[in-house]
Amino acid sequence: MDVKLVDIGKKYEGRSEYTLRNINLEIKDKDFCVILGPSGCGKSTLLRMIAGLNSITEGDLYFGDRRMNTVPPKDRDIAMVFQSYALYPHMSVYDNLAFSLSMKKENPKIINERVLEAAKVLQIEDYLQSKPSEISGGQRQRVALGRAMVRKPKVFLMDEPLSNLDAKLREHMRVELVRLHHSLDTTSIYVTHDQTEAMTMASKIILLDDGIIQQDGPPEEFYNQPANLFVATFIGSPTMNLFAGKMKDGVFISNDGDIRITPTPEDAKVLLAYQDKDVTVGIRSERFISGGELGDTFNAYVEVVEMLGKEKLLYGKLPKGQNITISVPGHFEYRPGETHSFGYDVEAIHYFDSSTTNRIV
Amino acid sequence: MNQTAKKPKKRLFGRKDKSDVYLSDRPPLSTAGIIGLIITYVLLISWAVVVIWPLFQMVKSAFNETQFQYITSGQRFEFGLKHFKALFEETNYLKWVWNTIWIALVTMGLTVLFVSFTGYAYSRFRFRGKKFSLMGLMLIQTIPTFVGITAYYAMHQIISGPVPFFTRQMMLVLIYAGGGIAGNTFILKNYMDSVSTDLDDAAKIDGCSYMQTYRLIIMPIVRPMLAIIALWSFMAPFTDVLLPTVLLTKNQDLTLAAGLRTLISDMRTLNQPAYAAGGLLIAVPIVVMFMLLQKQLIGGLASGSVKG
Ligand SMILES: Nc1ncnc2c1ncn2[C@@H]1O[C@H](COP(=O)(O)OP(=O)(O)OP(=O)(O)O)[C@@H](O)[C@H]1O
Ligand SMILES: [Mg+2]
Repeated sequence: MDVKLVDIGKKYEGRSEYTLRNINLEIKDKDFCVILGPSGCGKSTLLRMIAGLNSITEGDLYFGDRRMNTVPPKDRDIAMVFQSYALYPHMSVYDNLAFSLSMKKENPKIINERVLEAAKVLQIEDYLQSKPSEISGGQRQRVALGRAMVRKPKVFLMDEPLSNLDAKLREHMRVELVRLHHSLDTTSIYVTHDQTEAMTMASKIILLDDGIIQQDGPPEEFYNQPANLFVATFIGSPTMNLFAGKMKDGVFISNDGDIRITPTPEDAKVLLAYQDKDVTVGIRSERFISGGELGDTFNAYVEVVEMLGKEKLLYGKLPKGQNITISVPGHFEYRPGETHSFGYDVEAIHYFDSSTTNRIV
Repeated sequence: MNQTAKKPKKRLFGRKDKSDVYLSDRPPLSTAGIIGLIITYVLLISWAVVVIWPLFQMVKSAFNETQFQYITSGQRFEFGLKHFKALFEETNYLKWVWNTIWIALVTMGLTVLFVSFTGYAYSRFRFRGKKFSLMGLMLIQTIPTFVGITAYYAMHQIISGPVPFFTRQMMLVLIYAGGGIAGNTFILKNYMDSVSTDLDDAAKIDGCSYMQTYRLIIMPIVRPMLAIIALWSFMAPFTDVLLPTVLLTKNQDLTLAAGLRTLISDMRTLNQPAYAAGGLLIAVPIVVMFMLLQKQLIGGLASGSVKG
């Protein structure tokens, strides 16, 4: 089912400011859409409006062609997984799974079938008679998923469902969730503040901040063409290196003079308009060239080396003292205290307008 | 031969040797600690004596055939059920029991029902004047119920005009139930606040109306608190003397506490040992109610958190 948000805004009772405003969004059928953003930006609010748990102050919400603004949650053909799981503590796992169907007065035989089917997929068959308090966090999380699954919803909503799990299990569940999404054949909307989850799971990401959508699109686009400085720094780990400076005679020079970059001919054309204006350059840590000799280079003093196995992270300083993070393949020899020369992969340099923070090219 | 001697001594009752590892989490007792412990025990025991001695006297005189109208100490003890017989045959005791039990049950039902609604509303809904009215409820609570006694007379007259079968006893039920609502609402609201509203949201998505959310999800979770409220409101009519004494005029209409009082305050019906016997029997319905509610009192929240 397509989900369409037209000019949606939300103002909470008793607040003077809108929490969200002018949200325009189209989520295609069978998309795995991740709503990403820092804490408190209104991700849950947006999701709860789609679920019908919060009222929509302004704008329209459509599922397919149907306007849903005033349709009660139970008639929206949705299922939701809560961060706290919200399992009914006094019911057994089986009853938790069966509850929504029995509220719909579904045939007991069908209920039983669906519950067992979901339990099988999620491997919680052995715990069907246990109370939620008697099973582990990971199992609870599966029960919460199962409760959503048995409804066979058109739209599957999840609010940070993995945040209570430990790192290993979270990694595992990420894959499981995507698999589940494909097998259910639904549209999924998933809220998280973890950019790794967003990058790995999404077919479409929506990055929220300051009550507006900063960027929306597929994950690669976020990584390779961030729309502004906020997106550039929010996505990717380690955080993108940023250097504030100016364009002088077609060459970027950082304010302290340590960094000089000659743009590619294509970039240079666009940057012509920014002659002598403030520009910020962004480079991801893996786009430096070790031992750079050709073209523009710079020297960095290596302070700390983090060995991650397949790669090494070098935390260093430029001659005038600015910090820089460079990642190199794990087998390269770098030691703290050394000074090395690096070059740039000029294809991979992002230019932002310092005054508006928007991407130039 | 030596071998047998080396064998460790068989432990009595399978208890572990003294030399075994010290397992308690508390530090071992010092001399000061032991003295403190002794003082604590002395205090506790004397307190227990203060509580138990009158009870013991009551039990003793209730079963003592040699006691007459007044309870006197130093009497010879002779076991018998004379006073219980007197209680059942010469007083309206059974009537009082019946009165009290139905008043208590109806009070309990009304209180639990009302408090369910008010507690849920205060905990889950935003409405104008919520804070203000909650404060108001608490303030009203501080005024003792009996100051309204003249108003109760008037109210009873007004209501019994159009509704002739509205008795004084029903008035009493209303007073008990109404009096309990304010404080209990506050308690239940606070208890419900600790239940995650995510559960309400989940129930809403699963298709519950507000009533169903309360009945199927919230109520089972707050059951221990409801059980306590039920027990308290059930017990109130058993212990209150003042209101029934003032409000109810006929001896056979009285509740237990008020009825028994006539056995020690009225010269015409004075019978102290029967009073003791009747007092003992009051415990029976309360204990029964306690046992009925026992399963509800424990468990509940302990058996289910939401978080992982
Ligand atoms: N019921 C409410 N009444 C008033 N304001 C609220 C309410 N719920 C949330 N807000 C406000 O709306 C803003 C967005 O909240 P929201 O819960 O959507 O954030 P979030 O992006 O989900 O954050 P997190 O990642 O921490 O869950 C916050 O500033 C919060 O204070
Ligand atoms: Mg949230």
